[in-house]
Amino acid sequence: MNGIHDMGGMDGFGPIEREADEPVFHEPWEGRIFALNMAAGALGKWNLDRARYMREQSDPVEYLTLGYYEGWVLRLEAMGVEFGLFTREELERKRTALAAAEKS
Amino acid sequence: MPVLTAAMVPLLVTKGRSARRDDAVPARFKPGDQIVAKVMSPLTHTRLPRYVRGRRGVIERDHGVFVFPDTNALFAGPHPQHVYNVRFSARELWGPEGAATDAIYIDLWDSYLDRA
Repeated sequence: MNGIHDMGGMDGFGPIEREADEPVFHEPWEGRIFALNMAAGALGKWNLDRARYMREQSDPVEYLTLGYYEGWVLRLEAMGVEFGLFTREELERKRTALAAAEKS
Repeated sequence: MPVLTAAMVPLLVTKGRSARRDDAVPARFKPGDQIVAKVMSPLTHTRLPRYVRGRRGVIERDHGVFVFPDTNALFAGPHPQHVYNVRFSARELWGPEGAATDAIYIDLWDSYLDRA
């Protein structure tokens, strides 16, 4: 699809930042999301190409503004719902419960 | 449902899961052949970037046979086919602003290409 992901040849994004001693993950949660994606992928409900297709269908504003692994979180949620691992309601219930537990 | 076990992880992380196939598919192109990338705008997944569509290039290398992402993403079959490394000059892609000596080499599936 002619989506926001197909950015080759576009100008205006500024220079590429090169980090000295760049870590594999910048935050521990990024590693967990990477692992969760691998484990969920191993269930065999989708393949790598479908996962890429799902990423391309992200909201364009989110695609450009969210961090790389933040985008992975949203994709995994979308795939989990589409392929029947959980429902949107179950996801929201869990999110609400976790937020409440964090506050208390 | 298959489950990822700890024992499988090192192999998965270091090697990934290869999309290479050993199907005997004939190659339509060989190194040195002139091609033109198809102009197409599927609403579904493709790995043919917009900036090479309709542009002329030269086959640099034949990588062998791989799963076709465009159909695989739709669960419409692997359609194994050759993937080629293709050279596009910067001038062909960007016009006069492209540096005369620059080129981009990109890997493209057989289905994306026509003979120039």
